[in-house]
Amino acid sequence: MTTCPVCHVGAEESEEYCEACGAELSPAVAATEPPPTREATGTPPIDTDLAGTASTCPACGGEVAGDGYCGTCGARAPKHRDHFSEQPAAWVAAVCDRGLRHTRNEDAVALAAGAEPGSHAVLVVCDGVSNSIDSDLASLAAARAARDVLASSHSRGLGTGLSLIAATVSRLGAAADAASEAVLGVTRNAKALHASDVAAADVSRAPSPASCTFVAAVLEQDLLVVGSVGDSRAYWLPDVGAATALTLDDSFAQVQITAGLPRREAESGPQSHAITRWLGADAPDHKPTTATMTLAEPGWLLVCSDGLWNYCSEAQDLADLVRQTSTTSPTAAEPLTLAEALVSWAKAQGGQDNISAALARIQPG
Amino acid sequence: MADFSAEVYQNEFLPDGGTDVHAVVTVTCTGAGAAGQVGEGDAAEIVIVDTSGSMGDVNIRMAQQAAAAAIDQIIDGTWFAVIAGTHEARMAFPAGRAELGMVQMDSTSREAAKRAVSSFRADGGTAMGTWLTMAARVFATVPSLAQKHAILLTDGENQHETPEQLTAAIRAAQGQFQCDCRGVGSAWQVAEVRRIAQALMGTVDIIPTGAQMAATFETLMRQSMGRGVASASLRVWTPQGAQVLFVRQVSPTVEELTPRRQVVNALTGAFPTGSWGDESRDYHVAIRLAAKGIGQEQLAARVQLAVGEKVVAQGLVKAMWSNDDTLTTRINPEVAHYTGQTELADAIQEGLAAKAMGDDATATAKLGRAVQLAAETGNDEATAKLKKVVDIDDPNAGTVRLRRSVDKLDEMALDTASTKTTRVKK
Repeated sequence: MTTCPVCHVGAEESEEYCEACGAELSPAVAATEPPPTREATGTPPIDTDLAGTASTCPACGGEVAGDGYCGTCGARAPKHRDHFSEQPAAWVAAVCDRGLRHTRNEDAVALAAGAEPGSHAVLVVCDGVSNSIDSDLASLAAARAARDVLASSHSRGLGTGLSLIAATVSRLGAAADAASEAVLGVTRNAKALHASDVAAADVSRAPSPASCTFVAAVLEQDLLVVGSVGDSRAYWLPDVGAATALTLDDSFAQVQITAGLPRREAESGPQSHAITRWLGADAPDHKPTTATMTLAEPGWLLVCSDGLWNYCSEAQDLADLVRQTSTTSPTAAEPLTLAEALVSWAKAQGGQDNISAALARIQPG
Repeated sequence: MADFSAEVYQNEFLPDGGTDVHAVVTVTCTGAGAAGQVGEGDAAEIVIVDTSGSMGDVNIRMAQQAAAAAIDQIIDGTWFAVIAGTHEARMAFPAGRAELGMVQMDSTSREAAKRAVSSFRADGGTAMGTWLTMAARVFATVPSLAQKHAILLTDGENQHETPEQLTAAIRAAQGQFQCDCRGVGSAWQVAEVRRIAQALMGTVDIIPTGAQMAATFETLMRQSMGRGVASASLRVWTPQGAQVLFVRQVSPTVEELTPRRQVVNALTGAFPTGSWGDESRDYHVAIRLAAKGIGQEQLAARVQLAVGEKVVAQGLVKAMWSNDDTLTTRINPEVAHYTGQTELADAIQEGLAAKAMGDDATATAKLGRAVQLAAETGNDEATAKLKKVVDIDDPNAGTVRLRRSVDKLDEMALDTASTKTTRVKK
């Protein structure tokens, strides 16, 4: 018996790839080579890259003092965590932003992609539940853990057709496991810090343990598999033709929509943002609901948090928004530029929540 | 080396369009050491004793003992002098020199000084301005001084000087030394002596009878010798465009600091706080900002304690705009408490002033409000002192009647204690 170096699930010695996540099992390779995610992903493997604050005040240009506030106008210097972007390859990019009304950014994104457009990509968005402790740390840890599982192996060795889909669905499950474990780790740390003596290991008893949503999109050539827990979403927005929402929210609003209430009404109700599934110590379960699609037309894959779709929930409306936004200037159709533009648009609509927009440009042939 | 810390008490949440931020900053000093012993420079003490004719045989003997008691508390090595005050100032110790000066405390100078004060005679008038002026000149003879403190005792009104002369003398002495002032008996003017004490960053209090003088002087001098931090200033940084509404010491006494502002730089003002021993002082700062949008956060003030040019403690006063009423309507207990205590000090002083002028209606209203505030803020000492001046019908409603016969000493005790505050009960 051995264990997978990526998802830590047990595996037979004779196997070449992990049954759970598809990672290569060869210990020699895992030990000597740098993690395969390193150059393909947009961020280093640890969270220190988003610690700290800007040194120059964006509001007035003044110098930021050691206490994290501008020495001239007193504005709180933005933390790097408040607004960050990733672009692992020219055709894949994401922007994650605090928005206007929340005091911290509890959204997180994590990406990985092959350099060749349309080859393979992983887009993960997690949205921290705002009344839980350290959900900003939890969402980032979760998104990156899931991304690392999903990026550690791609199509090689996973077969084709149905077996590829089954393997990818399995990898999504392993990614959600890793994300969930990362969230629990944050809660354990918080408990260890706050009450080092009292049953620190019993994470299920934390008062409001760190929690977040989870959505991941895995692209292998023209095959797209998405999985989600909670109300962060993935959309397929083709340049021409009908747009598709790829995920169904685990939310009170979705329960009402399923029962026949119009979407607009359900999503504006008092309980509309209550989610029924999430990742965290008090989560009922975290098995992602998956969907599969073959992408044969040019278009945009969008993975986002409710900070964006709150202002544009219908897939077709989002497709129209992306079409309009991507044609405003010659560079507006660059993935990073477009992701920034979508975040700015959500802020212009009120920016009530944290905003994440992750995009992959699909251009077959 | 002394350690300073700062704690901020405030509700940082402002409603949409809100502009005013209030905070109470508690500054605590520990490990201050003894005056003049920590290498910042030498310490010096001057004892100023009223030897005017009104002191009489009994009180002058008590004053001799009080001066001797103070001298006994002065640590060896401390520079010191004694001034005898009448309608003019006279060097009692060191005396008989061609020029003004001070000497350092040792067993010889201690005995010589005690002999000198035992020769005090009650004779002549009162001109406190001349006493202050001489004290400033005496301190100036020793260039190595970092910490200069005086105790001033009087028993009467400043008859042999115009108020303008006194004002000029106070102004010249301001910043030169700190001065704790005490009045013995009931023939002195609280407002007059308070003016000196406040300007010279000292305390004012009444000594009801001559017999209590020695104990008071001993305590004052011991406290002064326990202030190992020669001088410090409270610095308040505010963002560009902000307005400092006020900066006020609110504990242990209410002292308005706003007009004492000295410019450090365009955004920072310094307010001298005098010397520090092991103690806590509370400051209430109020800042007006330009309102920002909901969800925005900014710093309203950095409140720092600086010893020389070195910032030794800092508290951050913040502002966060929120549309959550449960956050923005919350009243910070420390801010509310000291707002009440400041109003209490004003109500007592204004009520007593009105009473002295025969305006009973205003006096009743102001002292009634004072009774109410003392009850609300749990200032039992103020309540006890108020009870000697007014009969209280209903403390919560502030319904009082002026007492027909009031001991002048009780009224003065209420007046001198008006600025003393109590801390928030936790």
